Amino acid sequence: MSVVPSRPTARGRRPHPRVTTAVLATIALLVWACAGSEATPSSPSATAVGPSVEPSSPEATPTATPVPAPSGTIRLYTSVTQATVDAVIAGYSDAHPDVTVEVFRAPTGELAARIAAELRDGRILGDVLWLTDPLSVQAYAAQDLLRTWEPTEASGIDPAYRGESYWGTRFLNMVIVRGSDVAAGPLSWSGLADPAYRDAAAIPDPGFAGSAFGALGYFALSSSTGLDFYTSLKANGTVQVRTPDEVTAGVAEGRFKVGMTLDNSARTAVTKGSPVTMVWPTDGAIAMYSPVGVVDATANAPAAESLVEYVLSEPGQVAIAGTGWQPIRPSAGGPPPEGPQVYPDWQGAFGRQAELLDSYRAIFGG
Amino acid sequence: MVEALPVRRVAWLTAAGLVAAIIGWPMIRLFGVAFERGIGTVLETLTGPQATAAIWNSLWTGAIVAVLAVASGTGAALLTERSALPGRRWLRAGLLLPLLVPPFVTAFGWARAFGPRGLTDQVLGVALPGMYGPLGIVVVLVVAATPISYLIVAGALASRVEPDLERAARASGATWPEALWTITLPLLRPALLSALVVAFVFAINAFGVPAVLGTPAGFATITTRLYQDLALSADPTAFVRATTMAATLVVVALVVVGSADALFVGRGAARTALPSGSGLTRGRRAVAAGLGAVIVLTTLLPLVALVLSALTRATGLDPVPANWTLDNFASALDSRFLGGLAHSLVLAVAAATVVLVLGAIGVAARHGRSRALGTAITLGFAVPGSALAVAVLLAYGGWLRDTLAIILVAYVAKFWALGHRQLAGSVERLPGDQVRAARASGAGAVDAFRSVVVPTLRPSVIAAWLVVFVFALHELTMSSLLYGPGNATLAVIVLNVQQLGDPTITAAMAVLLVGVVAIAAVPLAIAGFGREPANLRERVSP
Repeated sequence: MSVVPSRPTARGRRPHPRVTTAVLATIALLVWACAGSEATPSSPSATAVGPSVEPSSPEATPTATPVPAPSGTIRLYTSVTQATVDAVIAGYSDAHPDVTVEVFRAPTGELAARIAAELRDGRILGDVLWLTDPLSVQAYAAQDLLRTWEPTEASGIDPAYRGESYWGTRFLNMVIVRGSDVAAGPLSWSGLADPAYRDAAAIPDPGFAGSAFGALGYFALSSSTGLDFYTSLKANGTVQVRTPDEVTAGVAEGRFKVGMTLDNSARTAVTKGSPVTMVWPTDGAIAMYSPVGVVDATANAPAAESLVEYVLSEPGQVAIAGTGWQPIRPSAGGPPPEGPQVYPDWQGAFGRQAELLDSYRAIFGG
Repeated sequence: MVEALPVRRVAWLTAAGLVAAIIGWPMIRLFGVAFERGIGTVLETLTGPQATAAIWNSLWTGAIVAVLAVASGTGAALLTERSALPGRRWLRAGLLLPLLVPPFVTAFGWARAFGPRGLTDQVLGVALPGMYGPLGIVVVLVVAATPISYLIVAGALASRVEPDLERAARASGATWPEALWTITLPLLRPALLSALVVAFVFAINAFGVPAVLGTPAGFATITTRLYQDLALSADPTAFVRATTMAATLVVVALVVVGSADALFVGRGAARTALPSGSGLTRGRRAVAAGLGAVIVLTTLLPLVALVLSALTRATGLDPVPANWTLDNFASALDSRFLGGLAHSLVLAVAAATVVLVLGAIGVAARHGRSRALGTAITLGFAVPGSALAVAVLLAYGGWLRDTLAIILVAYVAKFWALGHRQLAGSVERLPGDQVRAARASGAGAVDAFRSVVVPTLRPSVIAAWLVVFVFALHELTMSSLLYGPGNATLAVIVLNVQQLGDPTITAAMAVLLVGVVAIAAVPLAIAGFGREPANLRERVSP
């Protein structure tokens, strides 16, 4: 076979120099247009905070002396569900009309990555962090990135659900979900490894879901079973999936008979009509708290602190409860715990994530 | 020719400068973080048993996916572009359909269709064994990557393989497979290499598919490992580990893509005549039916499963009309939806257009050294979205933070390779004789470009634009990391309204995104491919 050779034909293939110039101009224009049109509405966030900062604010103790009403713009970095954030921010804005809250919501991984990139440019650009589980917030606290202060509204919070610079706002309870067609009866955590659920139980992967890591931390460090819990599950053919929601869905579809999931996920499925029931483990749901704290580098501490105060206050807690979560204040209503609650030793687990995950993966892989 | 050189040099320098700015600088920042604790830490991260297993898993699944996707894409392209199959337009549309489905729901649709308790399991009692595990990952990635291979090969078939040679071979007694093997495939080699490179990189940077299908089997890849480290990246050590895994993907792409590009030896060849039906002459109906059946099975059925899930009131209920509701759509559509749609459309149009413009500069610069440019451009595509977004934020966060422009930079860095490879696969052998003829007849350079080059390249140009447009329209990961107040994109809005947890809502969101993409892209596709160049039309008639 032969290929007809032809010399490169520069004339035909090259665009006119003016075309190249036009092309470059177009790109420049596009980038400029995008940057220009969007920078205008968002630029106040970068500048508006300046004049409103009170020089005395870093030392102000909101507990005793009345401080001037907070104002300006603050930015909330959160991984909490949008509906919950919306409800709380709506209430806060009514109470503090002079403060504009910009919300940046993203899943835990994306949020943490964004913050990590910002830290390399100098500082976290959010003023308040409201996260899903204590793991990440502990890491920020350990790096002195959070502001140490004492919210008035935090007085009633159990020391197990707070740190020096962050406070629990609501509970995520790790519970058991069971298919409606599976024999009923009480269940304990070790009951998941019962031969009746051979190859038909599911757990979320602690590498993907912070709440699943909380469970891992609880079993490895606090419970009497230790990692044997996972060994016996694996021996019984238990399957790991990514997230608690996938566990709930798998049980609803009938892929699994039982599984470990979050109470909110199970309740939502039950409410929508999925053929599942929530079972509160007899030895206790593993309760994790969703922490909130003020970024130390904030330029508008009064407003940032007022937002945290509001989240922890009765109206803020009622708003959280109204979106289906168990609030940190029992008086605020919401779905009540249906049995005992146990909690992971977060302080003990902190700094040992990699080690705990490694020993888990030695059992389940992934 | 003397005056031609500076132009080409200027174009090359421009292209190189743009590659350096859009891809090079973010990559340098990423590597800077990965290596900031010294080479020892990097090696320690990469040589652990879990990391080596993940790297190996990514490599072998990527290689298998690339080979199978290019084989199926090429087969499909030869059938639809070389044979006058009945219902060809429908077959083409069906072959491209998987492109419309956002990658993060592809796995979900397949699991709902063929997995345990999926559609086929419920109706026929048949489930795909190994759906959750490496087999399922490979199958789903092949289906997802096939349209891209198909587009690249079909574009090359339309714009450059010489049917005269095929006809000569057939007239000399060669069978159809012989002509294919000795004429068509060798002439397609640059396009095939391009398609292999894109499919490989597409497979190794995929996250959603291995995450959903691999976790139950304890099967990790570089991307799932990276994501887990990123999720812990409040801890600086985990963040450095995540960037190390991302850098590993860049190096893998550099080695594999670089050596593939080095093999890319372009020999000039002009199309000697208008193509004509040199493909199948008999059994076209059966072939068309077979191809149609494959499309129904691999693409339509998962989409049907997706729509059924979206319509069903709650997971676990039978997908029958009694359980149907539109509530899942209602909760995905809120007041922010339209704003997000506007942002996404602007970004997708801008990204697709910029990529084409960059592609044009690349074409102008096309010369020996442009191969290195092609390799560099592919690196942006190799990095998973989350890590690329971090790299772009590190590189340009200072100026462009929270603007649509930074999202645009990330989109271009990510999807440039798709457009570039699509064009490069076709541009290599433009009809030089026709250009010379045009110039000799008095046409200026611009006229010759417009009247000869543009019509020849049009299918590829439209395909490149559409692919980038579609990918940008449903991009999720980078946008959710980079958006700022008031400029969230469509996928971010829908994701925020409901976490990607409740499968019925996820399905509704996917159906919505597919719907938006279809509404936006299909008219363009029809306008582009419907009006085939005269020579293509001629070829169809038997």
